[in-house]
Amino acid sequence: MVAFISGISVVCFVASYAVALACEVSRLAFRSGMRGAAMVAFAAAGFLAHTLFLGWRAVNEAAVPLSSPFDWYLLAAWLLAAGYLWLTLANPRTPVGLFLLPVVLALVGAAQLSSRDPFPQSPATQVWGAIHGMFNLAASVSVALGAVAGLMWLIQAGRLARKQAPLQGFRMPSLERLAHVTGRTQGIAAWTAVAGFVSGIVLNAVNGRRGLMETVPWTDPVVLRMAALVAWLIVADALAHAARRRADGPRVAAWLSLVSVLVLTVSILWGLFGATRHGMPAAAAAPVREAAP
Amino acid sequence: MTLALVGGTHRTVPLDLRERLAFSAEQAAEALARFRDRFPGREGVLLSTCNRVEFYAAGERNAAAPAAEQLVSFLAECRGIDAGLLEPVLSQERDEAVARHLFSVAAGLDSMVLGEPQILAQVKQAWAIAQDNHTAGPLTGEMFQAALRTAKRVATETALGRERISIPSVAVADFASGVFERFDDKRVLLVGAGKMAAETLRYLREAGARDVTVVNRTAGRAVELAARLGARPARFDELAAEIAAADLVVSTTGATEPVVTEELFARVEAGRRGRPLVILDLAVPRDFAPRIGSRPGVWLYSVDDLAAACEANRRSRQREMPAAQAIVDEETRRFMGDLHHRSTAPVIEQLRAGWSETGEAELDRLFRRLPTLGDPERAEIRQAFERYAAKLLHPPLSSLRSESRSGPPHGLLDALKRLFDLKD
Repeated sequence: MVAFISGISVVCFVASYAVALACEVSRLAFRSGMRGAAMVAFAAAGFLAHTLFLGWRAVNEAAVPLSSPFDWYLLAAWLLAAGYLWLTLANPRTPVGLFLLPVVLALVGAAQLSSRDPFPQSPATQVWGAIHGMFNLAASVSVALGAVAGLMWLIQAGRLARKQAPLQGFRMPSLERLAHVTGRTQGIAAWTAVAGFVSGIVLNAVNGRRGLMETVPWTDPVVLRMAALVAWLIVADALAHAARRRADGPRVAAWLSLVSVLVLTVSILWGLFGATRHGMPAAAAAPVREAAP
Repeated sequence: MTLALVGGTHRTVPLDLRERLAFSAEQAAEALARFRDRFPGREGVLLSTCNRVEFYAAGERNAAAPAAEQLVSFLAECRGIDAGLLEPVLSQERDEAVARHLFSVAAGLDSMVLGEPQILAQVKQAWAIAQDNHTAGPLTGEMFQAALRTAKRVATETALGRERISIPSVAVADFASGVFERFDDKRVLLVGAGKMAAETLRYLREAGARDVTVVNRTAGRAVELAARLGARPARFDELAAEIAAADLVVSTTGATEPVVTEELFARVEAGRRGRPLVILDLAVPRDFAPRIGSRPGVWLYSVDDLAAACEANRRSRQREMPAAQAIVDEETRRFMGDLHHRSTAPVIEQLRAGWSETGEAELDRLFRRLPTLGDPERAEIRQAFERYAAKLLHPPLSSLRSESRSGPPHGLLDALKRLFDLKD
């Protein structure tokens, strides 16, 4: 059993998620009585492998989730995969996987490109580091979910405006529900991003006092991109809130959610390929490692 | 084993004759009781809906299903109609065609509205009435079970019954439900008293709508309609305020000019505070100025819009026909194979009994010659004999089953009877 679990690799769950995504895409082409079960089976198998992989790393490689950029991305993907499974089981006729699974796969791809080295930690910084990581994780997952709901809102509104009956295998949730999810996730994303940023400042101050890690300067790319992301999410939430009582409010919120995910994507890419002192041990001389958003 | 069917549908029987031929549940029960007395030992099921009257009969070899002429006369007698009137309009089928027809009917492939699901409940009811009146039996039982299985497969494996094709159902299920998640917290406004308003309201009620207001140009008519539909009446001069408060409007007035102009709607809009509004304008000419539909948050659908969606759904159902037909064919083959195989049961029983008898006699002889054998050894030898017999019997029984798939295996049965000296 131990040998089996230790043998699980990223490829195992990526392949399962990819097959589940292929099943989702095939909904548009033809009907099948077996596809729903196969889709859920592959997604569940991928999720199980994903869970065991993270669990194995946490127990045997001291890589507590959120302790490295690699684990952070994989945990974000894991949360979205859990959301996909839950939504698919609750609403089997809604092709939510067409929108969520590509995000899951993209996050796993980002994990592969990021560092697996754990952040240096002491008991004091461990708590603040976990808080910082969790809030940023919640913000990113909320942005992704909001964008998926926003995109689905725009597609559904387009169909209703064209006065077309729903396509076979492509029945979207109602605009009312999608607008509700978009609005909720926008609010959660903005405030968790603020909390993540503030906890990052506290963590930085603790690190500076204890000399465990590099103090990240205000001009560091990670600080700048996170500040830009937080600022945008606050502005987006405020704009969506202001438009709430307007007839085009849900449409504005849907577009804002798409811009938010674009800003997050740019931020992640900047993190993957940019240089930073974020998460570097105090002894490190050169800023060579990327960090989680 | 024989199956017979006599029946007529909206395609073959004129409405006035269909009305006379139709059976209520009580009349069907009486007819089946009469069938039981007239044709003892036979099975019968009567399916009577507003679009079809069909009598399914079945019988074993020594009591075959009644001939078509007998069934036509029987139906005519039950309903007091001249059999001469029925003969030219009722279709008659035997054996495989009966099963194929029933499976198509149960799956909604033979319905006036292709793929409509109500027929399945009517088939189940017909079967229940036959069971209650003791005219159902093993043959019709298997056939009706197979029909229900076929209908379920068609419903799950094809999209035949998925898309709605009536304007009110499309309006509610494909459009209003695309905007709103639930209707129990929405305010519905009916403007006018057109025929489709009540039908649309029925679908809205099924979806959970509770708060319904009726506005009509004639106050008395609004009160009357509201009482009939379980709604709240409102005066026509309150129309603007009611639209401002509504989430969904169903409009079916007979007005020759738009009842709600763009200017009127612009005045109403401010009071709506951005809430989305679904307007189902089912009136011809239209009650709402078409440009209202281009305002943000307004989802306006006219009869033509909904009819186009219905037509698209209808075409989509038609596209599913080959897949549905393939399921019916497959289930018919399977059912007929099982039915033919069933007719081989007496021969198989005789064959098994003969081999078992011979085996027992040989074992007795062997055990008498070897009295020192203990019980475990005897049991082993007995098992070996049984396995040997089963293995020898397997090829002919397999051939019988496979031959049954393409029709009654009369040739093989005769050969087995002659080879093993089996009696009828």
